[in-house]
Amino acid sequence: MSVVWERRRTALRSGWREFTAQRSGVAGLVVLGVAVAVAVLGPLLTGASALDVTRVEAAAWEPPGPGHWLGTDHTGRSVALLVLNGTGASMLVGLTAAALSVAIGTLVGIASGHFRGWPASALMRVTDFFLVVPQLVLAIALSAVLPRGLGTIVLAIGLTSWPATARVVRAQTLAVEARPYVERAHALGGGHLHVIAHHVVPAVLPLVLVNTTLAVASSIVSESTLAFLGLGDPTHLSWGTLLHQAQLFGAVSKEAWWFLLPPGLGIMGLVLAFTLVGRALETVINPRLRS
Amino acid sequence: MRAIALRFTAAVMAFTFTGSVPAVADGPVTLKVAIVQQIDSMNPFLAVFQSSTEIGRLMYDPLTTYAQDDQRVVEAVAAKWEPSPDKLTWTFTVPGGKKWSDGQPITSRDVAFTYNLMLTNETARTANGSYVANFESVTAPDEQTVVIKTKAPQVTMTALDVPIVPEHKWSSVSDLKNYRNEDFPVVGSGPFILTDHKPGEFIKLKANKDYWRGAPKYDELHFVYFKNSDAAVQALAKGEIDLVNRMAPAQFDSLQGKEGVERNKARGRRFNELLVNPGAQNKSGQFIGDGNPVLRDVRVRRAIAQSIDLESLVKRVSLGYAEIGTGIVPPVFEKYHWEPARRRAFDPAAARAALDAAGYPLRDGTRFSLRLMGRSGRAYDEQASEYIKTSLADVGIRAEVQLVSDDQLNQATTAATYDLAFSGWGANVDPDFILGLHTCAQRPGPDGTGGTTDSYFCDAEYDALYAQQLSEFDEARRIDLVKRMQERFYDQVPSVVLSYENALEAYRGDRFSRFPVQPANGGVIMAQNGVWGYYGAVPALAASSSGGVSGVVIGIAVVAVLVLVSGVLVARRRRVTAEERE
Repeated sequence: MSVVWERRRTALRSGWREFTAQRSGVAGLVVLGVAVAVAVLGPLLTGASALDVTRVEAAAWEPPGPGHWLGTDHTGRSVALLVLNGTGASMLVGLTAAALSVAIGTLVGIASGHFRGWPASALMRVTDFFLVVPQLVLAIALSAVLPRGLGTIVLAIGLTSWPATARVVRAQTLAVEARPYVERAHALGGGHLHVIAHHVVPAVLPLVLVNTTLAVASSIVSESTLAFLGLGDPTHLSWGTLLHQAQLFGAVSKEAWWFLLPPGLGIMGLVLAFTLVGRALETVINPRLRS
Repeated sequence: MRAIALRFTAAVMAFTFTGSVPAVADGPVTLKVAIVQQIDSMNPFLAVFQSSTEIGRLMYDPLTTYAQDDQRVVEAVAAKWEPSPDKLTWTFTVPGGKKWSDGQPITSRDVAFTYNLMLTNETARTANGSYVANFESVTAPDEQTVVIKTKAPQVTMTALDVPIVPEHKWSSVSDLKNYRNEDFPVVGSGPFILTDHKPGEFIKLKANKDYWRGAPKYDELHFVYFKNSDAAVQALAKGEIDLVNRMAPAQFDSLQGKEGVERNKARGRRFNELLVNPGAQNKSGQFIGDGNPVLRDVRVRRAIAQSIDLESLVKRVSLGYAEIGTGIVPPVFEKYHWEPARRRAFDPAAARAALDAAGYPLRDGTRFSLRLMGRSGRAYDEQASEYIKTSLADVGIRAEVQLVSDDQLNQATTAATYDLAFSGWGANVDPDFILGLHTCAQRPGPDGTGGTTDSYFCDAEYDALYAQQLSEFDEARRIDLVKRMQERFYDQVPSVVLSYENALEAYRGDRFSRFPVQPANGGVIMAQNGVWGYYGAVPALAASSSGGVSGVVIGIAVVAVLVLVSGVLVARRRRVTAEERE
């Protein structure tokens, strides 16, 4: 056992070295760290009444200046505080939706790669169906039917974005199962569970990890899109909800750029950070990508 | 820089949405009106949307209409009307000399044809069926006389908002349900003639020069479609269109001081309300839905009304462009509007005491929870729900806000699966409709269908007063009855009238110098009970347009630059990845 652990620790260490060798990946990781800190600390640093519309005292639509360094929204709340407090919801939805989508995708991918024959065909046709259905339209339909809430958004994104993962995981599963040592395991009497748990999953896992990181980025964008379109839960503050409110309450007519820009930049920064980390991880597990 | 950037976006948006360049000053004088709502049908028997009924009024006169200055009943197709002593027979006189736009005379036969079509053909009752529900017969004994017999006395006989159509055109229509009424130019009797309609793009009408009241003072009236009101407001600011209504308070504020733009803050016909499920029952008295039973206690409903700060809702949610709500008839209808002798004051302490006394003590900071439903995407609901949630929390009521789609909200309010819900109605000059919404008879039947109750209110005293006012022909006494109904409603709180929204409109003062508003004191230009705003618009002497062209040119330039830049970027990116590809 200790040999295995020793080997894993060495692999992890060399992987980390590979990762840190890429400056963009490290930059992404730093941004992520800051975002997590903000998401956790933001609500603690904000006073109880600062975001309560009935208790704010500042005037509405104040441009950035002393006191409100990112201006105020239509009710007089500080945009800076709103953006800080929206980080958590955006990240939470992005992470859980990505986890859900990758979980479904991995399950379907491994199952259809491992079990050949009609079950695999059936699973792949289902995957193909979800692949060609316009994702946004399906997500909109789902969030229109289900009750409003963060859970619905997570479900809507998760249920619509898994086919790509399923395809990738299936390909990897097929490649792994074609290797001689898997054949040997079969010959020695290894059942489905043994082969999947001991050989396929460990080989697929790094790929899934990278996929998750990249899926988080697209889930954050999806969440913002749905919230912007008014399909989110307006009672929960997220960056998409902020953009929705800015549009709904006339920030464009008001030329209130300070209400539109910060949440937009926040989304951009977080998505970029996840993408950079994902790309760097991809390079670590796939030596062919190294220059 | 920011302003320029935003204006660029606006220019690009306006360009893509309308694709039009302002008219040249030499052409016909045209009033261009922004329209956001779709048209359901140009067939006046089927048209239900506010936008289509408004265009229907421009095309066809009704029997009688409402005056521009004080909304009294005045001549339209009929010049005189007289009820019989038992109020069951009404005689209308259609004077000679009025003509359809194809030159044929308008006679009493056209009126009889229109109403009889509605009485005999169910499809023809789609839009305005309620007006003839109580009719027994409609006859035209001679060219100038229409006799309408009703089953019971009806006070709304001079408020029949039904477009009268020409018999010589419509008698040959066999399939009314699918008749689109778009054989341009459409023969009508109103001040404008429909000449063209492209769904989602524009509606064109030209002035009826032979209109009996006199020709409009300009040549053409165009309705131009916009995807959203932000784009419409930008187009007005740039002079591409001349008239916009239904603006949000922030949009209205943003036009302050814009050159050439005049604003009209009008007292609207609409009110916002918060429905409080009073224990919904169907017509046979069975409880339906799943409203919280604590709301059946009138003391609880009063306490809720007391805990909401209406003044700050008006000030902060409506940015001051509203009046504080009281009775269900908005104050723009001065005659029938009721104002309490003493308004229910905003008083959380009193509300807390009342809830304690009613037997709902605080347990761990809350007394009970209520669902608060609203429409997501509606600015008022999204914002006001936050205020009401905090206000209720202050008196120990936990409100769980659920903002849902239009359909879901409709379903919930119809099936009574709500505790608190946002709603709103537009009232008419005659208060009968808005009062009738709250009678017991409007509740659904045991099978769940029928009735259009707004609040599930059912109160014997209210219903008795409603029946009295419906057959009360003495105006002063009817006004008194209508006010007593509103007082009862206010006291029983099946809903809290939150505010009467102002109608916010703006027009190009440099192109049109005056629009008649209805009523004369603080009234609206668009969405009137009539067509005075469009009909009486006076073009400015030196009509000129500027600014639009340069904006469009800049917009094109920006789009071109963006395309170029992104093209270069994509090309470079492709070269990079080409090397990485296997």
